Amino acid sequence: MRIDQFQYLIVMALCVVVTLPLEFVLGARVYRRPRRLLRTMVPTFAAFVAWDVVAIRLGHWTFSPVYTTGWKVGNIPVEELTFFVVIPLCALLSYEAVQQVRRLGWVGALRTGVLARFLPDPGPGPDPSAADRPTEELV
Amino acid sequence: MPWYSILTVVAVVVVVAAELLWIRSGVFRRPAYWIAIGICATFQIPVDGWLTKLSSVIVIYNPEVFSGIRIFWDSPIEDWGFGFALMTLALALWVRQSDDDSVGSPAAATAAEDGVRS
Repeated sequence: MRIDQFQYLIVMALCVVVTLPLEFVLGARVYRRPRRLLRTMVPTFAAFVAWDVVAIRLGHWTFSPVYTTGWKVGNIPVEELTFFVVIPLCALLSYEAVQQVRRLGWVGALRTGVLARFLPDPGPGPDPSAADRPTEELV
Repeated sequence: MPWYSILTVVAVVVVVAAELLWIRSGVFRRPAYWIAIGICATFQIPVDGWLTKLSSVIVIYNPEVFSGIRIFWDSPIEDWGFGFALMTLALALWVRQSDDDSVGSPAAATAAEDGVRS
């Protein structure tokens, strides 16, 4: 294997790395709502992988053997499966980060975001971080 | 046949219709949604560009199935419809489920008023 074969996967990894501060600095709280995240990702992933399966089978697009690993599940490169997890994640993180900044301002978002790293995940029951999170939704 | 172009339009229409008629998250009325879509569409330029630049192409599009219009680094213009549909579906489903385990959603606020812990 040559390093070039990981180019597609490296691009996906960079997308994850670049958006990570949205979760842990601005307090997007996407990764920390795993059940909700799963219920969002499963239908999205299923719908778009289905499209991808058909498109690959019909020859709408193909993948360079030079820049992909060649690892596949059925006819789908693992890179594509990664794509349909990573890109929706980036969208959710962007949305929640924008929400945080609009609600709390940059300083407030940074304060609660960075602070939240040191607080336990609010489980069921009264939420200790509720005071930081206004209940009015921006519409 | 420009199948990628056709399927992209179908996907955008289906996702928008699904949101308006079925998911009903109200995401299209939220400024944060449009701002996030704008941010992501901008970051799509380098990401998509890296995958589709013809000088060292990673994802190879069959020229018969799309419009032939390539923007920025050779990305088919259809990719932005594809991305819009993908991200909008995810965001609609995410926002719709606010009621479950999130503080700050309209449904959670309503539930709180009713004295029900979500």
